[in-house]
Amino acid sequence: MKPNNKLFALLLALVMVLSLAACGGSADTSAAGGSEPAEEAGEPAGEGGEAAGAEGNFRTLDEIQESGVINIGVFSDKSPFGYVDENGDYQGYDVYFANRIGEDLGVEVNFVSTEAASRIEYLQTGKVDIILANFTVTAERAEEVDFALPYMNVALGVVSPEDAVIESLDDIGSDDEVIVISGTTAETYLEKNEPDIKLQKYDAYAEAKTALENGNGVAWANDNTEVTAFAIENPGFVVGIPSLGSADTIAPAVTKGNATLLDWLNGEIEALGQEQFFHEDYEATLLDTYGADYEDTLVVEGGVTAAN
Amino acid sequence: MDFEAMREYLPLFWQALGLTLRIGWQGVLLAFGLGTLCAVVLHLRLPLLRQFTAAYIELFRNTPLLVQLFFLYFALPKIGIRMRPAFCGVLGLGLLGGAYMAETIRSGLESIAPIQSESAWSLGMTRLQAFRYVILPQAVTRSVPGLLANVIFLLKETSVFSTISLMDLMFTAKDLIGMYAKTMECLTLLVVFYLIMLLPVSALGSLVERRLRHAEFGP
Repeated sequence: MKPNNKLFALLLALVMVLSLAACGGSADTSAAGGSEPAEEAGEPAGEGGEAAGAEGNFRTLDEIQESGVINIGVFSDKSPFGYVDENGDYQGYDVYFANRIGEDLGVEVNFVSTEAASRIEYLQTGKVDIILANFTVTAERAEEVDFALPYMNVALGVVSPEDAVIESLDDIGSDDEVIVISGTTAETYLEKNEPDIKLQKYDAYAEAKTALENGNGVAWANDNTEVTAFAIENPGFVVGIPSLGSADTIAPAVTKGNATLLDWLNGEIEALGQEQFFHEDYEATLLDTYGADYEDTLVVEGGVTAAN
Repeated sequence: MDFEAMREYLPLFWQALGLTLRIGWQGVLLAFGLGTLCAVVLHLRLPLLRQFTAAYIELFRNTPLLVQLFFLYFALPKIGIRMRPAFCGVLGLGLLGGAYMAETIRSGLESIAPIQSESAWSLGMTRLQAFRYVILPQAVTRSVPGLLANVIFLLKETSVFSTISLMDLMFTAKDLIGMYAKTMECLTLLVVFYLIMLLPVSALGSLVERRLRHAEFGP
């Protein structure tokens, strides 16, 4: 091939990528604005009149029940909240709740394993109907997805080896690296509030935990529930900072605009509060790890937190 | 598309490109050195060394880089061998690339007709001289297209580095998506930056290939 041809091919490649990107862009704006009928001409008009037509990436409650299967995104490596046990079955606090949702909806639950950073994506692209993966409610995330009522309390915590405990963020030297998981609230919090602390970022819980065990970082910052569980399960590690940042809640999330599913979930959480379902959930899944002491600080019943 | 956000992310992507290139090129250099060494061992049929080299090549060609990195970074510390992520990245890439480069260079060596060695010997060259001055230059020339394809392949393989906490291009994009959920913007930037990194290599490849063809001798 002559160099000229090659150059032409390269240019063409760039143009292709950029035009693809531009297409995506215009579809986005039309979805948000909804004022460009020409863009939508290809699709049958009027279908699912409300937001459903615009975003198009979620299934309504009726559609889920009709199909007989609900897709729920959970963690597969975050014991004891969402993990796969030695028999290959999903287990944990989130999973226990997910199974109950399936039961009450009268559908089968199809668990989809997610990573922290892809939780929003999974909802926006319609790969799952609900995310039940220890999803902390934050203002930024609430712009991208719709959160239902909370079912658990959470704050950040920091775990470190007991021979070099980090008890305050000031203990972290300028060369030390703190392990975080990409896409978690711990990452966002430290990036925003402690820009001087060097972060070592991992995709998955399993890798972050191994990195901490191997001493690749001085500490691991994550949800305090999670670091506490880690310290209990791994002798030699202690939670030096039990609570950091603001007290937050964890809630199920659905695709932005999926009102029917959101309403049903809120009703479900309120109804489950009547029977103290989440205490039962705690006793079935978390008691072994945390003991009874944390039960009332962790569990939120009927979507009612201490704050309200 | 949110161009404002894309502009905001640009510095992060440049930084990631820098890291990807730094580790990528160090890995490629290591791979080239290792590959040449292995190819020579195989070609000269050095006893004992040849078996080890063959085993190394099979091991690294038939396991994914992701698995190799996991092993280097997560398993070796358990027996006391601890390496920084960047070093693991270079080593992993170098070992993987070395295996591929070795095969490419060896096929280059074997494509040189035996009559050339024999002619060189008959002119009084020693085995080593004939190899060094007659065979190797031609073999490298013939291997260039394959080697450059390997370079592009290796630079693309850097996309699995995120698993050992290296902030390469792929990781930066995924990380930003996780925090700000601007998927389209981040993925577009990601594609553009991989093109920025690899198009020059690809173009250079065509150029070098043409130049080297001039030096080629014989059928």
